[in-house]
Amino acid sequence: MPGPVRRVKHQAYGAKSTLYSYISYISVMSSMSDRKAELERKKAKLQALREEKDRRRREKEQKDAEEALQRASAASSLDSRRDLDEMLSSLGVAPVKDVLSSLTSITSLTPPQTASPDASLPHTDKSSLVSHGGPKKPPALQVVSVQSTDIPPKENVTYAKQTQTTASGVSELRDAHATDYYVLTFDGDGARQGDEEEAAFHGKLPPGILPHGLPTVKEVQPAVTQAPQEKKDEEKEKKVRELSADEKQTIMLSPEFQRFMSKAGRVIERALAESVDIYTDYTGGGDSENALDDKSDARLSLVRTFYDERWSRGRCVTCVDWSAAHPELMLASYHNSEDAPHDPDGVCLVWNTKFKKTTPEDIFHCQSPVMSATFARFHPNLILGGTYSGQIVLWDNRVQKRTPIQRTPLSSLAHTHPVYCLSVVGSQNAHNLISVSTDGRMCSWSLDMLSQPQETLDLQHRQSKAVAVTSMGFPHGDVNNFVLGSEDGNIYTGCLYGQRAGVGECVEAHAGPITGVSCHAAPGAVDLSHLYLTCSMDWSVKLWSQKENKALYSFEDSGDYVVDVRWSPTHPALFAAADAAGKIDLWNLNRDTEVPVASIQAEGGVAFNRLSWTPSGTHITAGDDAGKIWVYELAEHVSQPRHDEWSKFVYTLQELRNNQADEETDRLSLAASGPSSLTSLTSLASNPLR
Amino acid sequence: MANEAEETVRKLSMHKGVAGVIVVNGEGIPIKTTLDNHVSVQYAGLMSSLVDKAKAVVRDLDPSNDLTFLRIRSKKSEVMVAPDKDFILIVVQNPVE
Repeated sequence: MPGPVRRVKHQAYGAKSTLYSYISYISVMSSMSDRKAELERKKAKLQALREEKDRRRREKEQKDAEEALQRASAASSLDSRRDLDEMLSSLGVAPVKDVLSSLTSITSLTPPQTASPDASLPHTDKSSLVSHGGPKKPPALQVVSVQSTDIPPKENVTYAKQTQTTASGVSELRDAHATDYYVLTFDGDGARQGDEEEAAFHGKLPPGILPHGLPTVKEVQPAVTQAPQEKKDEEKEKKVRELSADEKQTIMLSPEFQRFMSKAGRVIERALAESVDIYTDYTGGGDSENALDDKSDARLSLVRTFYDERWSRGRCVTCVDWSAAHPELMLASYHNSEDAPHDPDGVCLVWNTKFKKTTPEDIFHCQSPVMSATFARFHPNLILGGTYSGQIVLWDNRVQKRTPIQRTPLSSLAHTHPVYCLSVVGSQNAHNLISVSTDGRMCSWSLDMLSQPQETLDLQHRQSKAVAVTSMGFPHGDVNNFVLGSEDGNIYTGCLYGQRAGVGECVEAHAGPITGVSCHAAPGAVDLSHLYLTCSMDWSVKLWSQKENKALYSFEDSGDYVVDVRWSPTHPALFAAADAAGKIDLWNLNRDTEVPVASIQAEGGVAFNRLSWTPSGTHITAGDDAGKIWVYELAEHVSQPRHDEWSKFVYTLQELRNNQADEETDRLSLAASGPSSLTSLTSLASNPLR
Repeated sequence: MANEAEETVRKLSMHKGVAGVIVVNGEGIPIKTTLDNHVSVQYAGLMSSLVDKAKAVVRDLDPSNDLTFLRIRSKKSEVMVAPDKDFILIVVQNPVE
């Protein structure tokens, strides 16, 4: 194939005809066998024609010869011929008659020989003519005619374009060098001498090139000026040009475009959300500042909400976490929505609290509702989610993809029940992802390999039934010991590693399922990491110490399920609790243990489900059951601890213990004296349930 | 994936005070726009040449530097330009009261 193709190309007149002839050539190839047969037939026909022609010519020539003979014989008398014969014979030549007869014999012999080339020419012409007019296969026949056309003009055209462009660039450069060089070396007159120094910089061309470039000094300028002009023309043309819908679509589907849009879109959105007017004129005076003053009175005030019409509507907030690398980023996971059966069940949104933009920074989703989510500590781009199905999914915000880039298998080796607890525990160099499902299985994963857990622990207390874990807490700075809250209202403590890995102790804590566990989070001069809080559906929040099996205190201010409780990350005695009635209570144990220092009721009859603090401890965020996250700001004097808060808190704790001891003795004495006293009854009523 | 880009454009154009959003390619041809064609082409051409100039300025001042964002504030409106290697995103904003 390549041979014929090339040949056809050479003979083509233009790009189109090349293509055409190429195609027709292929058709020729395909019908070669039929045509061969046809050619054979034609050849035979032509042979017959030729023979007939030859025969006719021979007859004619014979006739001519005979006529000539007759004329000669008629014209010349016998005498004259005899004279001539005699004269000829005297000269040793054969008589005229013999010569004439021999001539006729030659002519009669020669015609076939000379005729054959004559006939062959018409033969070729005729064959080409026949092929032109061939009624059956016109394209096939055209190919043959194409073959006979000349190549050079076409070749010149195509090559000329390419060589011109490439050569122009090259020659430009070369000319530039050449001018300098030649000017210096050959025209090195007094006037040009100054340029010699320049020539040294431009380097010397090999001596062989010198004679070549010598006269072309003046040609350089046109070459240089022409090129930019052409470019300008091209640019103008381009600007006029408009892209078709298809071209636009192709561009819009390209990954570069996607990347650009997501990047630039974010930037613009942030810029748009900033409504700071840098042209504010203060000389006129304003009353707007008074409004701010009113607000600052409140200890707890709503500043903003996070809500996305498409992705969070009707979805209960299941978990809230904060990025360690970017403290302004908040991760929220959402349950499925019954209003949107076609959207993915599980959604994770990353919100930005720094900018005023109202849309999420990132959107992630997966097939199963996300029950717990966390930023992967030490990996600022990774986000982990524990799903209802038991899978743990991994998203990456560097990838232009909303679906997980990795997920753990659904096998008996890992989780097959909902994963309610997820936490990255450890240090930069040695950390694991700890996940706990409601069937009491705790898995430890390496983030580099999610195909199987590194370790699994089945959480059981004294070989009894599995612990239905609903919440988990690791004391501040501890990577081994953990506290678990369970559905049966008990608290379990245990450790991850060592000989006694698994659940150690069990404390009967609440009368209903435990909804949240929070370990003390504000490190200070005094170590308070043994303290933790639990909240439950029994409407209470309890304060515990790992050193004791009894609650230090019970907070029973709430009138509904307490859904979450969280220590402040900065203030040692401050914590917040949210309930299912949409109320948030803020407790400062150094101020008061009986009533919260501040409470706020969310509007719209929502029920909260999750609570968290910003890492700075100045804001509380609460996720509700309808997909909205409420951000509350704390007054500075409430959120920021004074330097003596830690020692004061220790004193408060001691007081709580003392009170407890007093109540204990009271109760013992009461039991001894009998339940008759009215005062002792009231004191009993105020006691926490045990 | 394409609808994500469209979503972004829609989101931006829905923003309060935004008059129009135009995405322009490297040659100054509008690819996606919420304004009418004539205005878009005008913005695209003028802004891309301004971006080129601004880029040159930034690079000339410090060759290791690069232009990332351009805000043009005028009496009547504000134009925000987010340039990139291959594309430019232009948002025209009317002043918000």
